[in-house]
Amino acid sequence: MRRALIIALLVLAAVPLLFGVSQLPPIGSTGNPTYTHVVPRYLEEGAEEAGAENIVTAVILNYRGYDTNGEVTVIFTALVAVLGVLTFAKATAAKSEPAEETPVPAPPMPVSPVTRFIVRILAPFILLFSIYMVIYGHTSPGGGFQGGTIVGALLIAVSLVSGSAQAKRLLPERIRPWLQPAAVLAFALVGVAGLWLIGPYLSFPVEGELVFLRTPWLTIIEFGIGIGGAAIVASIFWAMEGSD
Amino acid sequence: MDGGHWPAVLVVTPLVGAALCPIIGRRFPNFAGYWALGVFTAVSVAAGAVTYAVSTNGPFSYHMGGWPPPFGIELRFDEFSASVAVIALIGWLAILYSLSYAKHAVPEERLPYYYALLLLCLGGMAGFAVTGDIFNMFVFLEILSLSSYALVAIAGERIAELASFKYLVMGAVSSLTILFAIGFLYALTGTLNMGDLSVRLAGVETFPAAVAVAALTLGFSVKAALFPLHIWLPDAHATAPSPVSAILSGLVVKVGVLGMLRMYQMLYDSQVFDLKMLNDTLMWLGAISIVMGALFAMVQEDIKMMLAYSTISNIGYIFMGLGLASTFGIIGGAVHVFNHAIIKATLFLGAGALIYQTGYRDLKDLRGIGKAMPVTSACIAIGAVSIVGIPPTAGFLCKWYIALGAIEAGRIFFAVTLLFGALLIFVYYIRMLNAFYFTPPLHAHLMDVGEVPLTMLVPIVVLAILCLVMGVFGRIPLSFIEPAVIDMLAPLGG
Amino acid sequence: MRVLWTNIDYAASVVLFLIGLYAVIAKGNLIKKLMGLNIMETAVFAFVMATGIVTGGDAPILGKGAEPPFANPLPQALILTGIVVALSTTALALSLIMRIYERHGTIESDDLWGVE
Repeated sequence: MRRALIIALLVLAAVPLLFGVSQLPPIGSTGNPTYTHVVPRYLEEGAEEAGAENIVTAVILNYRGYDTNGEVTVIFTALVAVLGVLTFAKATAAKSEPAEETPVPAPPMPVSPVTRFIVRILAPFILLFSIYMVIYGHTSPGGGFQGGTIVGALLIAVSLVSGSAQAKRLLPERIRPWLQPAAVLAFALVGVAGLWLIGPYLSFPVEGELVFLRTPWLTIIEFGIGIGGAAIVASIFWAMEGSD
Repeated sequence: MDGGHWPAVLVVTPLVGAALCPIIGRRFPNFAGYWALGVFTAVSVAAGAVTYAVSTNGPFSYHMGGWPPPFGIELRFDEFSASVAVIALIGWLAILYSLSYAKHAVPEERLPYYYALLLLCLGGMAGFAVTGDIFNMFVFLEILSLSSYALVAIAGERIAELASFKYLVMGAVSSLTILFAIGFLYALTGTLNMGDLSVRLAGVETFPAAVAVAALTLGFSVKAALFPLHIWLPDAHATAPSPVSAILSGLVVKVGVLGMLRMYQMLYDSQVFDLKMLNDTLMWLGAISIVMGALFAMVQEDIKMMLAYSTISNIGYIFMGLGLASTFGIIGGAVHVFNHAIIKATLFLGAGALIYQTGYRDLKDLRGIGKAMPVTSACIAIGAVSIVGIPPTAGFLCKWYIALGAIEAGRIFFAVTLLFGALLIFVYYIRMLNAFYFTPPLHAHLMDVGEVPLTMLVPIVVLAILCLVMGVFGRIPLSFIEPAVIDMLAPLGG
Repeated sequence: MRVLWTNIDYAASVVLFLIGLYAVIAKGNLIKKLMGLNIMETAVFAFVMATGIVTGGDAPILGKGAEPPFANPLPQALILTGIVVALSTTALALSLIMRIYERHGTIESDDLWGVE
């Protein structure tokens, strides 16, 4: 009964939404306001102005770099939030909390030797590929996030097949808090440099004698995002696993 | 670009400070607190500089990355953005208060994360208040929302995680609704810049624009806890640690109101369709919130639950003011955002002090505390008087303005509701003060507790003094906000 | 109706959004609510991406062999940010569910009602 009521309400909500959606400018047409207003400049001038042939990268890092700054802050917030909720002192383990009926946890699945072998063989190549993706983000699909997520996933895969202790050797406890904020700090570094040398925060040189700085700056940010993203994804996984 | 580079300092400093908090707190968790206070002092200076720039020169903008809007992201400072001043004030006092309070409420190993989350929440709100780009607004909305969900749960109290989860689900759904609306607006106009949207909305199809506005209103109403979307608030605000409750009730819910104001700026400017239905709905829901919040507050035993429902009631006032769509109404509603923040922060920090010293949260257990903790109780009393709206305290002028706005718009019923609400509030705060001062204590040992440490006492006293000051000098914020509101309503012809 | 067919991508996202919303509201298990939230997030991303579709467009990467018309790069940039936001929300939600389970022994919201 309750379900029927909810479904009825949602169907009722669907009607005006679908009606509204049908009145939006038609999808795919090049005459749409979305395509004629701001975007032509990105497509035409983006490669020279912003220093990247991949226009999406140009938009993310240069034109709307501040948004990306906010975004790396969001993912860092997620990390701090997860750590804030899940961290317990080493002495008193969380398991000693009284709970009504804690069901017996399922026994861990044994790792197949085939999986373990393949992951361990492929790991260095995956790492190389992710570095390639980070660097080539300017001229082909790719970029900091993409590369960083691959490394993060790699660390999780190694954790799953070889145990977290092994994986954590790749990203030791001591340097982890320095790598996690890498993205935020990279943005701040380049942003302040831009503020000092060129104009408002996060400005990049467009032409003139400082243009040679543009690619290094963009690369610093890309690597910062990549390293930060990888460290954060892996840290969240390890925090949830509770093996710290 | 009139504000120099202060805008960049304002938004970037708290975020970078938060990024370094876990590193700084590694060896000595308490040190993270001092670091946070230092960082936030710098942020407050920036907030002051920006507010000063707006008050002397009027609105100005700052183009991030040097790209002019609509190609780049613009930070637009108008009088509404001056809410960063309130964010800075209450945030700074809350961090100071936390230096003592958090040591006792939050497990030590989590302290660096607590301060990082505080900085992120405050920085997120600052970024939200000053941005002129709707997608950027969404990004900062998520920063402040995520950190606030975590701050509710961080103390690990009995139902804190459950309250946080409920808050998260409703908050995430509302954020998605807002993003959906942003997509609609983008599809219709091709731009994300708020100023540009105001212009381009004038020529679009009205039905999709109405859908987008409805979605934005729904999303922001959940964030602001307007009836009937308020159900996440009582548990979340009551189970959070007290300085966090002060920030949540005083600042984070106001983000929803600020979002509505930004939306109104775009709508009134472009006049894309008649807003009567929207305004009427908000007025009615506001009125229901006022009464319902007050009634629920009256029956609460737990002091923080009572304060949480009181927040819902006051948000009702603000929305009623916005919905009246008259100059007085909107000014009153907007300034109440500031005043209520100060008053509620006084009350929550004061309540936190009581809980810290006595360990009790229920009114019946706190009977007679007025004699044992005179300073704190006096400050709470000042806060209570302010929230009822008795002159010359902070609450009076804005409610008076909203009532005038109701009369100006010809809606006498709402002015009556406002008075009725004030009466109800009066009843439950009298009940609280009666318990503090005029009833014998239930627990004899209560008389032995002393006042709280200085770092907790100073913020409470400062805020209580501000309640009085903002009442006496109440004209100042009202005339400060006036240009922005008149500007906003101008296309309607007055 | 014909116009709805042209904008079928938008319509599909709306339907998906409402399906996700149903799961969030009606399902009792907290994990299922979270999955509903994820479905809603995907729906909104699809919606915004659809605003960027250009019929017959190439990827917006200039360089050898690329010719106009190009797909719209702006929604893609927005959604990259959106995906990270969704990841963050999910990570926090899962951590909270873990803690709720450890503390109360259940993640069915019907059983959890009585706790408050």
